[in-house]
Amino acid sequence: MRRRALGAALVAFALALPVPAAAQDVYTIGLTGALTGPPASTYAPAVDALRIYVDRVNAAGGVNGKKINLILQDDSAQPGKAAANAKKLIAQDNVLLMLNASLSSTYAPVTAEARQANVPLLFASSVCPPTVYPPADPLQFCTTAFAASYDSRATLAFIKETAKEPVKLGFSAMAIPISRGEIDFAEEQSKGMGMTPVAKEIIPPPTPDYTPFATKIKDAEANWGYSWAPWVTQVRTLESLRRLDWKGNFVAWAHLEAEGELARLKDGQFYVVGANALFQDNLPIHAEIREAAKKAGSQYPAEQMAEGWIAGMVIEAALKATGWPATPQKVADAMSNLKVDTRGLRGGPIEWTKDNHFRTRQYYRVYRWDTGKGAIAREKDWYAFDVK
Amino acid sequence: MLASIYALIACGYVLVYRVSRVLNLAHGELMMLGAYMLMLTATQFSGYWPVAIAAAAGLSLLTGVLVYLFLMRKMTGEMVLAAVLTTVALGILLRGVMVLVWSAQQQYPAQALHVTNSSIVLPGGARISFFSMLLVLTTALIYGALLAFLRFGRWGIRMRAAGQSPLLAAQRGINLHAVYALAWGLSTLTGALAGILIALDSGLDQTMATIGLKAFPAALVGGLDSLAGALVGSLVVAAAEVLLIHYVDPLLSEVVPFLVLIAMLVVRPWGLFGTREELDRV
Repeated sequence: MRRRALGAALVAFALALPVPAAAQDVYTIGLTGALTGPPASTYAPAVDALRIYVDRVNAAGGVNGKKINLILQDDSAQPGKAAANAKKLIAQDNVLLMLNASLSSTYAPVTAEARQANVPLLFASSVCPPTVYPPADPLQFCTTAFAASYDSRATLAFIKETAKEPVKLGFSAMAIPISRGEIDFAEEQSKGMGMTPVAKEIIPPPTPDYTPFATKIKDAEANWGYSWAPWVTQVRTLESLRRLDWKGNFVAWAHLEAEGELARLKDGQFYVVGANALFQDNLPIHAEIREAAKKAGSQYPAEQMAEGWIAGMVIEAALKATGWPATPQKVADAMSNLKVDTRGLRGGPIEWTKDNHFRTRQYYRVYRWDTGKGAIAREKDWYAFDVK
Repeated sequence: MLASIYALIACGYVLVYRVSRVLNLAHGELMMLGAYMLMLTATQFSGYWPVAIAAAAGLSLLTGVLVYLFLMRKMTGEMVLAAVLTTVALGILLRGVMVLVWSAQQQYPAQALHVTNSSIVLPGGARISFFSMLLVLTTALIYGALLAFLRFGRWGIRMRAAGQSPLLAAQRGINLHAVYALAWGLSTLTGALAGILIALDSGLDQTMATIGLKAFPAALVGGLDSLAGALVGSLVVAAAEVLLIHYVDPLLSEVVPFLVLIAMLVVRPWGLFGTREELDRV
């Protein structure tokens, strides 16, 4: 009798235990990203912005009445760690959607895992791979502002329009495949646009002294410099050139750090080409992000959060369109027919179709430091390229 | 400039190895920690950059002593490999802590200290930044001071004695733990000075620890137990790197220190100025 009572009590206790948030109760999404390690400054602020965005959505009741469970895994930009993270997120956490916010060297193992499990993969703050351009891989999507080939076209078009003298270009790239590939592309493009490439420096990531590379660009008598690489390579090339008394114009990609760095360098001949509106534009959504970042006590300045915020907006819209119950396939289907208003953070909406998982039009803006006004100035307003 | 960076970092590897036979593979992280300490002191002494640097250097010296007292001291009498692995673990721990405390963001101590890194024109028209020049001068000063200290200083002689024969040194009444703690302190101080001056020159981020590791071949090429060797090894590695960047392929700069190292290991495994007997012990 006593044993039976004990058994009944145990069953009752087990039933009364709070059930852990099972996969079917929440939208579980997982991210592998470079939260630490050398290139973390490019990715960690975006991931933090995404976390803050998801927390806000959850605090407001979630999506379709369900909370979003965002699982963050650090891969330190190492392919091996990224592969292990992807395996864990798929096999153990049963994610509906996987995100990558890391160096391009992590793409191969992560895409392999996602493809094998038929889980959609979103590149959020990591560079868009060609597989999201038309005809897109059915399971790969990208919200990131920077995009191979389009960025160099936009930059070279700006240089051609701005330069008052024959352009002699000095390039700098980081010794990683995506950066090198883009600079090779830019070098070829520039020849067809009547410019003369005079130097191309491929710089290894942990370089203590950029002077030897900058010296070669200066000695080649470049009057324009162009770098498409992680921020550290771009800005250190420029700073080394300036220390060598190089007087030319320099164009770089407007990474997350760009706004703070323009203000730090105060260099009137340093242009940044980007697809995100800088916070100096003071849009209502910028104020919203600033307030959310402050409230969440983020370590990162709000000015570096546009990229992660946009990823959050897109994920929220995709899950809303997915409905409930959700499966990875339903999420992928919803993402293949999506249009998200970026509320001014970009020049236009992020629009995905069955064949295009990048965006239908890619918008660019150019900023620089206005030495006269002592503030960041918009050098060229939104101009767009159709993505075909 | 590059040779100065490598030399200033490499002497930290040499100091610890020469005295305690431990390869400190957390040296890059300790160097980065020194640079982050400048961010701490910069807020206290904004506008007084020499004071901020001195305070950060002092904190780094203390950190090195504490690392020995609370961690490496426990490794005394253990296998050398265990001590080396402990330094690897320390490096991983420090990297994580630094991200948690200072975030992964790029930091600019020079901006925090309101100091301008102006460009200086040298005879012949060459240019160098102010902090690069300071780094070169600091390297010369540190090497001069360390060589004099080890040659003539009471504690320097004790350090050499402890390095040559810990048993005999202990029997002569030398406090080995104090000597080792001093070696760790000085090693961390020199590494931190390199980190601080690099950060003032070009900013501070997570790549700094890797720079610390790149200087390791310079120490090995020169001979792990020789300060003069570290200096020459740094010159050899840096010259090879810059010449290959300029005349062959910039990409080689990443592998060149290790190519030089492999060549040296094949021809003269104990390094240019190292002691053959020391290598046998390793």
